[in-house]
Amino acid sequence: MNTTPTEAKAPPYNRSRQAREAETLLDRIEDDFPDNPEAMRYFYALFRRVYCQGEPVKHQGTLVGTTCIHAPEELIYAFGATPVRLCNGSYHYDQIGADFMPAKSCPLVKATLGSLHAKAAVPNTAALDLIVNPTTCDQKTKASAMMEAMGYQVHDLELPPAKESEEARLYWQRAVRRLALRLRELTGRKLTRKNLRQAMARTARAQAAFRTLHQLRKTAPALFLGKDAFLVTNAYFFDDLDRWTNAVEKLNTELLQRQQAGFQAAQKRAPRILFTGSPPIFPNLKLPLLIEEAGGVVVADETCSANRMLYDMTAVDEWLLNDMVDGLADRYLKPCTCPIFTRNDDRQRRLLQLAADFNVDGVVYQAFAGCQVYEMEYRSIADILAAQGIPMLYVETDYSPDDMGQLSTRIEAFLESIKTRKRNK
Amino acid sequence: MSYFAGIDIGSTAIKAAVVDQAGQLIGTRIAPTGSSFHRNAMETFEALLAQHGIIRDEVKFIIATGYGRKLFKEADDSISEITANAIGASEAGRVFGGVRTIINIGGQDSKAIQIDANGNVNNFAMNDKCAAGTGRFLDVAARNLEIDLEELGDYHFGGDGAPLTINSTCAVFAESEIIGLLANGHGKEEIVAGIHYSIARRTVRLAKRVGIEDRVYFDGGPALNKGLVAALQDELGRELVIPEQPQTTTAFGAAVLARSQYLSE
Amino acid sequence: MTSIRDAINGIDLRRFRFWLQLFFFVLLVYGGYLAINLGQYLPTFSCGFNNEGRGGVCYLLPLQHQLAMSWGTLFGWAGLMVLQGFLFFSLWFFVLNKGWCGYVCPLGTIQDWITGLRQRLGVRYSRYTEGQFRRLSLIKYLLLALMFLIPLGIGGALLPHDMGTPFCDICPGRMIIPMFTGDFSQLTIDFSTKTTMVMTALGMLVTGLFLAGAFFKKRFFCFFCPMSALHYLLSKPALLKLKKDGNKCTRCGDCYRVCDMEIREIADDVKEPRIMQDDCILCLKCVAHCPEQGALKAAFAGITVFESTERGFIKRMTKGHIDEHNTH
Repeated sequence: MNTTPTEAKAPPYNRSRQAREAETLLDRIEDDFPDNPEAMRYFYALFRRVYCQGEPVKHQGTLVGTTCIHAPEELIYAFGATPVRLCNGSYHYDQIGADFMPAKSCPLVKATLGSLHAKAAVPNTAALDLIVNPTTCDQKTKASAMMEAMGYQVHDLELPPAKESEEARLYWQRAVRRLALRLRELTGRKLTRKNLRQAMARTARAQAAFRTLHQLRKTAPALFLGKDAFLVTNAYFFDDLDRWTNAVEKLNTELLQRQQAGFQAAQKRAPRILFTGSPPIFPNLKLPLLIEEAGGVVVADETCSANRMLYDMTAVDEWLLNDMVDGLADRYLKPCTCPIFTRNDDRQRRLLQLAADFNVDGVVYQAFAGCQVYEMEYRSIADILAAQGIPMLYVETDYSPDDMGQLSTRIEAFLESIKTRKRNK
Repeated sequence: MSYFAGIDIGSTAIKAAVVDQAGQLIGTRIAPTGSSFHRNAMETFEALLAQHGIIRDEVKFIIATGYGRKLFKEADDSISEITANAIGASEAGRVFGGVRTIINIGGQDSKAIQIDANGNVNNFAMNDKCAAGTGRFLDVAARNLEIDLEELGDYHFGGDGAPLTINSTCAVFAESEIIGLLANGHGKEEIVAGIHYSIARRTVRLAKRVGIEDRVYFDGGPALNKGLVAALQDELGRELVIPEQPQTTTAFGAAVLARSQYLSE
Repeated sequence: MTSIRDAINGIDLRRFRFWLQLFFFVLLVYGGYLAINLGQYLPTFSCGFNNEGRGGVCYLLPLQHQLAMSWGTLFGWAGLMVLQGFLFFSLWFFVLNKGWCGYVCPLGTIQDWITGLRQRLGVRYSRYTEGQFRRLSLIKYLLLALMFLIPLGIGGALLPHDMGTPFCDICPGRMIIPMFTGDFSQLTIDFSTKTTMVMTALGMLVTGLFLAGAFFKKRFFCFFCPMSALHYLLSKPALLKLKKDGNKCTRCGDCYRVCDMEIREIADDVKEPRIMQDDCILCLKCVAHCPEQGALKAAFAGITVFESTERGFIKRMTKGHIDEHNTH
């Protein structure tokens, strides 16, 4: 992508508006709550640098953008490249995307395309050599051609529409192998047992760190607030992998100390909420923040900007390429609870298990307006939760900041009804 | 003597209610929100106290609700209008054999709430993105037909023909539709009835999302409109419980909650 | 108590298995030299043709002999003897269930050693497709049926007597296990009669297939093993069980990936708690490679002895990463 001299000189107006959006949110996250963990400073500072000051995303080798968690990042690392997740959460870019996207489209896709279309976008990923676009939902699928029209190299990573059959599994394994071939062309390097094994070791370490964090959130009263947890996982999109893992391990140590000291990050009777649905992506952490500002605490989530991205781990029997690549492919397809597939039994079971393990009082289900798959699934989820006596609040929202009043009314009513329920038990 | 107050600060009107130590309703007061809602809320509250000879110190706990609840600093606590409405309706509805569903049509929004025997909210649905199906639609219609809001009920029952179907889903576009119908010589009565049915259908759709169970309580300002009530009962297929002062149920609920919160502390 | 449990759940299963398999191999192939005799009802391929070294005899040998008795004898008083033999076999079996296959069977151990060789050479293994798996999985039942019917046929004078032990004739154990004590006499084609010629030639063929198959597929022979079929028919009351808690399963397929027998149901079935299938050798690799706490467990007489844990999984996978780092 070329930038003409005039564009490079113009003070990035988009950056100032976009920066303000990020800054306001970070201020709320940091200042509206007492006793933020020390280890979170790293993350607050990281977001300020990248989102408010426009610091370029740190990377080694070629930068490969991904638009979905289905893209196996271990492969990208193995080829000496760095993956960066492009899913965007900024209202500012959502408005830019609205110029050329249909009115009723998903704000996430609009914002992502908007940021790719804008010059000098933030986060600064100007040097994207390839975008790997898994063909998940309709809107992402159609986005491929639009991204190419903007001048990007796009690789369509063909994801099957159902994951139950053996055919789907094999199809996906072949699609992953094809991605490996494309990456080989792009980087000029070969995939070897050694470099893939090293890449898998790095992500395994990150996943293990996340699992520890995840398990620590089971503690009651809560040690840690969901607003920070989402910030941590959102940082994974673009932060250096090893640096991120170190920061999370430090956070885990601090949380363990908190646990031993009996520290409470939220009130004892604060309703424990499981957050599910369309992913909260920085700076659109609107809903989790509202929940916690209203006195609830998000103890667990089932979204692709957090739990779903990092929870599942790959097992390999033999450290030979065929086992490793196929094992990775399986890990990215089989346990995935994204609603783009035909059945959602796996998602139902995962939600019920999370609700039980984390002693959850209620579930908040966010669906972006225009996200057909999440909107269509909410009834089945509400029904199975109701059968277990777990109340659910369904919220349809988008990136615009003007529905805060309406959202807070709903959330407060929901939390109030939970508190009453608990009092009466 | 201890008293407890609830203030419902809505977008169009401020409603205040006071209950005594036993939880009995002493009185209510309604005033327009205006541009300075804090001042108007204070004035309404103080006027209500004066009306019943209550001194400020006797009011032990105040709960604010409605869109302006967070900014009314006089209040001891705030609660969402959904919870307040639920409690108010549950209390007021006891004499009718117990309320399980609440339909509220306000100035700018409409809600459906499902509650249990104790007035706890089980489920709720709101329409606060669109003016169609809210009191605003009635305002617009009344203005276009050049009749007063209070007359809408009479017009509803005054016609001979069937209610006309209003096709527009948007309150603003419905304006042009109404004018067009008038120009084509249709009677105001049929148009008014059509508007009432349009709102009623929309409201029933909202209510179905939370599940409709007897008895169904209908409140909010527009519940005073007998024509709307008739249309709603027709669409629901069941009778509604209408309080004498439907605008103040939420404030009453907030006052009841103020009392129980104070007494339990 | 929890620390013991954690230690067990975090063990290096590969190493544990290696040593246990070696122990049983030595016991069954060389035990005879130490005058160890575990009887002739063993539910595993402790080959009877290994005359001096055997520490016990594979039950299939005496079974085929007994079934080949003339019908008059068989359905008379000798029938009691057969039933008694079957009872002892069952009792042995009940202790370990199909764990006999995964931890004790010498033929299984040999296959695992061949697999180890392949891994060291860096050669990739092959997997069955779903269709192949389904079609081939019935062969072991066929062989089991033949193993019963042919001796019965001999006893009823319907088949020639020199087909007396039809399965042993084709079993690779007969040729391979004696080799470990220096006895290569079984590696021949017996030209005495046409029948023996055919059977022993088949035996050589099967042995060849066994060795080649085991090189490219993990536990190739076990898929067709009639002993495995017999085991499964008796497996319900066995003491050692493999259990699954479907609610905890994320269907990630890690267990399926590491399963030597390529059993899909382990990963896909989230309803049935008794998850052991007919091909399972109870090697417990699935349990070791499941990252979800308590999703899979091995229980003995109702007591959980080995369970899938998050910590155990991470430990084993990390070790794999580190091992690779050191060897490359």
